[in-house]
Amino acid sequence: MIELYAITDHPGPALPDARVLRVVSRGSLAGVYGDAGDEAITPDALWRHEQIVEELMQERTVLPVRYGTRFADERAAGQVLEERREQFAAALERVRGAVELAVRVIGRADQPKVTGPAQSGTEYLRARLREHASESEAVHVVHEPLSELARDHVLRPVVLADERMRAAYLVEATAVQEFSATVQRLQDAHPPLLITCTGPWPAYSFTQS
Amino acid sequence: MSDKWLNRPDGMDSLAAALPSIDRALDRRINADPENLERGLAQLVLTIVELLRQLMERQALRRIDDGSLDDEQIERLGQTFMKLSERMQELREEFGLDEEDLNLNLGPLGNLL
Repeated sequence: MIELYAITDHPGPALPDARVLRVVSRGSLAGVYGDAGDEAITPDALWRHEQIVEELMQERTVLPVRYGTRFADERAAGQVLEERREQFAAALERVRGAVELAVRVIGRADQPKVTGPAQSGTEYLRARLREHASESEAVHVVHEPLSELARDHVLRPVVLADERMRAAYLVEATAVQEFSATVQRLQDAHPPLLITCTGPWPAYSFTQS
Repeated sequence: MSDKWLNRPDGMDSLAAALPSIDRALDRRINADPENLERGLAQLVLTIVELLRQLMERQALRRIDDGSLDDEQIERLGQTFMKLSERMQELREEFGLDEEDLNLNLGPLGNLL
């Protein structure tokens, strides 16, 4: 079994770790892979996968491949490259020169909020209305200015309690600093919100059109 | 991971503790034994129920917003949604599912919820 790490241009610069990584190429596309081995699936293994993709991303445009994507052999991986060539080539162009930044907005816990179960049906619905309003507010004050600095974005549903917004932005590699400074400015302007920003990540959220 | 923070506001530590760990997410994805198949089915069914619940709740919120419900109707609807929400939580706990589990990635269409 082989494990695929990323899809990239062919030909490309030399691989960062030629002892572990190999390339299967079809036309202008290359898949970077390594032996899958039989190592257990652990958080450490997940981080190793991520590190390899990030190393590759230093010197080339990559479409990151999700952890755990395995093929029987090089030929099977090559076949997929062949079959979905147009899709992969278009996706590579979409992310070329850009990185992914992740932003989350959380309402500070010391903000007034309804604690414990609602006492009446009316109270429950009013609390839900307030939640919706604070989510729309976060999207308005945080997402709108940030989306203007990004080539593309994905807004995801919020999951955690107090979470107001969760989004990924596809940002030009040269504009990361400006984006980060804008996040800092938004944070200063809106102390009741915790705005987290992480990255740069491989463009996991933007591999599909 | 520490070098990945572009903005890390104060008060993040308590939040980090509340985040679901990677270990759990991995466990969920990999174990395909018979017990997990049953759980997978429950996950799918509860996802559909949760989708309907959220759609109905949003519709009710819209109607409150535009003022087309009287106080008694709002209270009755609120009671219904509150109980539904509690019941969903119980069912989730019974099958060991998080809120995040009740979502489907619909590929190009994004997430279901």
